[in-house]
This record gives sequence, structure tokens and C-alpha cells, in this order.
Amino acid sequence: MSGAGGPGDPAVSDQAAPAEHVVPTAGSPPGVALRVDHLSKTFPGTRALDDVSFEVRSGEIHALVGGNGSGKSTLIKILAGVYHGDAGGSIAVGDTTVAADHTTPAKARALGLHFVHQNPGVFPALSVAENMVIGHGFNTRPGGSIRWRALRRQTQALLDRYEIQVRPEALVRSLRPAERAMVAIARALQDQEGQHTGVLVLDEPTASLPRAEVVRLMGALNRFAAAGQTILFVSHRLDEVIDTASQATVLRDGKLAGTLVGDDITEGRLIELIAGRALDHMYPVMPPLASDEVVLEAKGLTGGPLHGVDFQLRQGEVLGVAGLLGSGRSELLKMIFGAYPIRSGTLEFQGRRVKLRDIGDAMDLGIAYVPEDRGGEAAFLDQTLADNVVASSISNYWRGLWLRNRAMDTDARDIIHQYFIRASSERQQMGTLSGGNQQKVIVARWLSRNPKVLLLDEPTQGVDVNARAEIYQLIRNAVRQGCSVLLVTSDFEEMSHVADRAIVLRGGRVGAELRGADIEAVRLTELAFSTQEVAS
Amino acid sequence: MSVVADAPAGEGAPTGGAPGSDNPGNPIRSRNRERLLEFTERYALVVLFIATLLFFSVWSKTSSTFPHAQNIKNVLGNEAVTGILALAIMIPLVCGEFDFSVGNTAGLTQVLCAGFMARLGMPVVLAVLIPIGIGGFIGLANGNTVARVGVNSLIVTLGVSSVLLGIVEWYTGGQSIINHISQSLVNLGAGQWLGLPKTIYYLAVVALIVHYMLEHTPFGRYLYSIGSNRDAARLVGLPVERYVLLAFTMSGALAGVAGVLLVAYNGTGSPQVGTIVDTLQALAAAYLGATAIKPGRFNVLGTMIAIFFLAYTVTGLSLAGVADWINNVFDGGALFVAVLVSTIIGRRRAGAG
Repeated sequence: MSGAGGPGDPAVSDQAAPAEHVVPTAGSPPGVALRVDHLSKTFPGTRALDDVSFEVRSGEIHALVGGNGSGKSTLIKILAGVYHGDAGGSIAVGDTTVAADHTTPAKARALGLHFVHQNPGVFPALSVAENMVIGHGFNTRPGGSIRWRALRRQTQALLDRYEIQVRPEALVRSLRPAERAMVAIARALQDQEGQHTGVLVLDEPTASLPRAEVVRLMGALNRFAAAGQTILFVSHRLDEVIDTASQATVLRDGKLAGTLVGDDITEGRLIELIAGRALDHMYPVMPPLASDEVVLEAKGLTGGPLHGVDFQLRQGEVLGVAGLLGSGRSELLKMIFGAYPIRSGTLEFQGRRVKLRDIGDAMDLGIAYVPEDRGGEAAFLDQTLADNVVASSISNYWRGLWLRNRAMDTDARDIIHQYFIRASSERQQMGTLSGGNQQKVIVARWLSRNPKVLLLDEPTQGVDVNARAEIYQLIRNAVRQGCSVLLVTSDFEEMSHVADRAIVLRGGRVGAELRGADIEAVRLTELAFSTQEVAS
Repeated sequence: MSVVADAPAGEGAPTGGAPGSDNPGNPIRSRNRERLLEFTERYALVVLFIATLLFFSVWSKTSSTFPHAQNIKNVLGNEAVTGILALAIMIPLVCGEFDFSVGNTAGLTQVLCAGFMARLGMPVVLAVLIPIGIGGFIGLANGNTVARVGVNSLIVTLGVSSVLLGIVEWYTGGQSIINHISQSLVNLGAGQWLGLPKTIYYLAVVALIVHYMLEHTPFGRYLYSIGSNRDAARLVGLPVERYVLLAFTMSGALAGVAGVLLVAYNGTGSPQVGTIVDTLQALAAAYLGATAIKPGRFNVLGTMIAIFFLAYTVTGLSLAGVADWINNVFDGGALFVAVLVSTIIGRRRAGAG
């Protein structure tokens, strides 16, 4: 075994930082809430975690960051006792140490590790109070009837403690997404009884939250931390890591890539550690607008949450659509794709007024749509990659009363190449690809049809940094060939880099428009929130 | 310094990567294991089928009766109708819907075909085509309720199957229709061509057509896509409702074909034939078939192998003198195991990431 020093990762030069804590058997040192020591995990064929050590200090928000397959999830699962680590590693909380190969969910609970998973596991049809006790057993009178009043009182106390502004009897279904996540957090923390000895572990708590909700949730986390709660959270969203975390540990390929502290947590440094190389052009240089020709024009589009939306989309242009959740941005895209009823208003395509009866009509015009919910609305997870890629153009392979499967596979192989998809073969099952690669498959499905208009709804949500850069590249290549793009994204940083022009939806209409250099994340955030005030 | 790396790296603490961690496992060996596993999955049922045939051929209790040409042919002839029903139930299964009415649809079209000839003196062609059309119409009605109104297909078709059972009883008064069955129809169904029961040829034709439709036409691909993710299928432009409706219509029409074939094979129209029991056998075969040849996916060849595996096993057991009730237990058990295995395969495939 090697002595003190770095694990030999050339990308991070300062790996061999002076070591101060050297007693791995007597719990974690003072000021350190959680200490992970030499954690490894070997699966048959792969090493998912390779000798990872780091510390989380008491009362801090500590981010755990890394691309898909970097080992974050494995690490969290070992902490939770779902997996055993390899022998030799250990986990210490307070003054208790557990060997990594002996972890169990019960031990994790005894250590004071409280988990809230990506899908927060709340029951929408039950009240907040019922959600609080559902895993703990109801407090009942002899005979089995529930002590409702006591339950409501306890829940209210818990909600007060964590400053969550909801009523105990409210149905979770009626809560905002951020409030649901907070309820899940309060539920996880309820046995802590005031003192903050344990660690709250959040696994991508914001993955499915819209931007405004992320801000609320992060505000709540800051309050909890200020009150002394230690928080370890896993995230894909670099901006929230930068805004919220006081330390960030980055994993890459199962190894510790480095830990950033305080002001050193910058987008550049994070990306460098996550990707293992400086992504000097994370965002692409978009080509200048080449044409003034209007491809798509909406006049007074009305339906659902929209009340008269007007805009023009030019050839080769990327038009960003900003707005809060419920502003109708997703419905707008679906309307243009013939998948949402238009009550009134008109659509003009290349100067011609069109009426879309169904999705087929939109596809015939050369419109393509990448939905927000990849698992629910885009991917065929139990089918092959080839099936997924050609899903929107199968009829092209129907020649001479025979489906040309071989031609399909050949084309799929080419597309895998062209669209930077990493897979063992075109016959690989879609569900076994990483999120980023699945998203590239969906984008490829539509771009390979050479669409005239591409509708993108949150194209980089839940996608790691490398895949994101590649998706931007794909968008740029399409735009170069004259494709026009409508881009809905909650990531305003992304919008400011990718869009030529941006509109902000407010009250069902276009409330503001920004061009070129005026599209700034700060400005977009302001506009989005002023929209919020106008609405309430 | 921006990077506080690996803070607890200290004395005696092994921080270097473990030996060989760069090249975990042996890729060639694990690739081979993967292939072996896949091969096993594909052909396990075939091997089991052959082993069953061999077992009953040498087992002292059945060796004198089981391996005889007459027995082999009998089973082939008897199973053709169940085979067609299995294909009928498979089409809606591919797009994620149940059609529990196939057995009773065959029962109804059977007594109608016989009754049209016996009571109305209808020409054979009409007595064959009209019941098949009625089968298609029952499927259309099922499909319309399921696809357009959005009612759960299991409930709808289970209800319809009970209604059909009642109609059969009313129409026949509980008596078989024996007389005035057209001899030319019976000639087409009973007896042999080239040494094999005639019904097996009809099954082969239907199986080829369904196989072609599912594997070599866009329509088949669309059905699989709908079964995989209905919303995603809609958003790649597929008219999902229309295809689900079509799948049910085909299922009903095929059940009608099975009913007519029953008359041709048996020479009667019996109210005891064509019930929910046949539906369950068909379902068992379809699910068991989905564990073979193309594991995790309903497929025609797998279903055909499953039909004959089940039939020969039941025959072998009854030749060995096992009581009749074993048949129901065996069919039910096969359905149970088949669903279990295909669920496990499916979960492993979709969730391996």
C-alpha cells in the first residue's frame, strides 16, 4: 500500500494536502459531522468507488457533485446502508464509526443519517400530518383509533420548527413542489428532537423542481444550516451548488477529484473537476443569424394557460422561452406540435397559415419536439437504442411490403456516431444508458429527420456536464444547417448563452423580450420573478 | 489553494488506488458470460420442451403410448385452435392491453357458424365469414371502449366474456348443434393433409401472418412502441387510439377464425367449448412465449413453442394416469411461472442501468 499522498490523479495537483485528521477509528474529529474514510465499492466488472475520503463539517451545506457514473449514487447508497462498501473503508458520524462493509439501513438511522431521495416519497393523496407519521406508525388509543388532535399538534410543531408555511391538514397534492420536498425533509428530520447531531442527506432534491421552487428550497436549506443542521446534498445544478454550498466534493470515475471551499466554488473549477479537463467552451459559440426569413409566426395563440401569445421565429434562430412553471411555456411548445388544443389564434408556417389537426400534421411540416419528461414522454426504455432512434421515422423503412430492419440498424449505428451517443451497440437496451446518453438519443431521433423547427423543452435537465456540452453542440450544428429552435429552459444561464432572442411569458402573454447581449441570467430571473409578483 | 483534496489523507492511510483498479474484472470473460446468459434465456423453453418430450418417451408409465405418431398428431390437431387463440390474445398484449374475451368469442362464433347452417340453412361461405365478422365486431366494440373511452381493458373484456357466455347458452339452449353441419366444411377441418392434421396448416398460416404483421410491418413496430410507452408513442406522431382499436379488432376476428375452425374440426357447435378456460390457456402460452426466443417481448415463435410445450406436458401427464384436475393446476401454474419469469426478465432489462 502506498503511504500518505494523492491517489495519483494528475488532473488535480493539490491532492496531497496536509493531513490533520489521522485517527480513523475514534469517530469524527471535533467540528466534523460526517467523515467518510477510504470508501471503495467493487461490483463484478467495475469499481464504482475507489478509495474516496472526505469530511463534512458540522452545520455546513456540503455538495457532492459529479457526472453520471461518477459514483455519487453508489456513495449515497452505501451511506444509507442499501449497499455494503468494500472492507477497509469506514463511515463516522459524531463519535461512532461503522465499517463500510457492515452498513445497514438500521445502522444509518442509528448514526443519525437522514435521507431524502430524489423522488421525495411523499403521498400526494394524504395530508401533511398523515405523511409525517406514515412510516412511523400512527399514535393510537387503545382499540386502534388514531389520536388526530395530538397528531395535528405534533405536525404543527414540526412545521413551525422548520418554518414551513403549510397547514397539517393540507393534502400534499395541493402543495407546491418545493413545499413537498420540505415536508419530506421535515419528515426525515423529525426524530432529531431539536439538537442537530445528525446529517441530512439529500439526493438531487432539485432534479425535478422548476427554478423558482429551487430558490425556495435552497432558502429553506440555508435556514436549516444556519440553525446548525449539517446537510450533504447531491446535485447536477452547478449554480445552486455555487450559491448554497460552503464546500463541494467532486467525484469522477469513482475517485475523489477534489474538494472546493467557499469562494473557490466556481462554475469553471467545478466543470474542470467534474469533466477532468477544462471545458473552455461549455456553451457553444452560436453562429450569427444568417436570414431574416420568418419560419414560424404565432398570432394570438390562446388555450390552456395562454391568452394570446405572439412571436416570430426566424430561420436559423434560437428563440428562448422563459417563464415560471405554469406560465404555459410547455403548453406553447405542445400547441405548435399539434399535441395541445389551440382555442383561438393562428399559426403561420413559412408565410402560410396552418391548422394542425394532430401531431402527424406538425411532423409533416418539419416540426420536431423533445419533451421535458424524458422517461414519461420520450423514451421507450425496454426497447433497443435503434428502436428509439428510428421511432419517428419507421415508415421510411417500409419498402416492398417488408420492414428493412438491417437498414434501420445501419442508420442507427451512424446516428450513434454522429450524435456522440456512448453505447456498446445499437442493440443496447435504452434503459441501460445513462441519462445524458438517453437524452442524446431523443435529440438524435428528431434531428435525424432534419427538421425545420425544433421545439426543445428543458433539453439538458438531469444531464451531466459533458453530455450538456454535447447537446449544445448538436443544437448548434442543426442551427447552422438552417434549423430554427424554440428553447424552453429554467436554466437562465443556459438561455443567455444559447438563445439569440428570448421572450418571457407572463399572464399567458409575451411579457418581455430580450435580444443578444441583453439576455442575461440576472435579467431573466428578475423578469421571471416580477411576473410572479404581477400574478399574485 | 482552491482544492482541499482528500483532507483525511494521513499517516498509514492507503490512498492509492487498489492494484488493478484501472482494469476491473475481465471484459472478455464478462462479455462471454453475458452472451451465455442471453443464449440460455432465449432457448431455455426450447430445451425444456425437448427434455419433456424425451422424458415422456422413455418414462416407463408413458413410453408405450406417448411417442406414437397417433398421439403426436392428436395433440397437434387439438392444439391448433388454442394456438390461434393465443395469437389472438397476443396482439392486444403487445400494445399493453388485455383481451379476456377471446375464448368466449370463439365459443359464440362457433355456435353461430353451426347454427347458421343448421337452423338458417345458410351457404357455407356466409356461415364462415359472418361469424368471423361478428368476432371482429366484438373486438371493435372492446377496442372502442378501451381506446376511446379509456376503460381498463381487463375489466371490459372480462365483462364482455360473461355476456358472450350467456348469449351462447341462450342461443343453444344448452344443447350442442350436431345436425345439418355442412360436410364440405367438416372436410376442410377434419382429417389429414400430407400425414398431418389439417388444422395445423391453418394455425401455421395464421401464425405466419401474425408474425409478418408484428415483425415486418410498421404497424407491428407501432404496437410494440405503444406497449412500451404510450405517451411517447403519441408524441412521435402515432395515432395510438386507432392502433389499439385495430389490435382489438384483429384479436376478435382471429377468435372468430378459431370458432369456425372448431366447427370444422369437431363437426358440431357445442356450448361447452370456447370459454374462459381457453382464454387462460392462450394467456399462459403468450406469457410463456414472451420468455423465449425474444425474451421480454411477446413473439409468435415463442408462443407457438409454449402452446405445444404445455399441450404435450398435459398429454404426457394424463397418459401417465394423473387425474384430470391436474390439467387446470398445470395451466394455471404455467401462467403464474410465465408471468413471474417475464416480469423478472423485463425488470432486469429496463433497470440494469
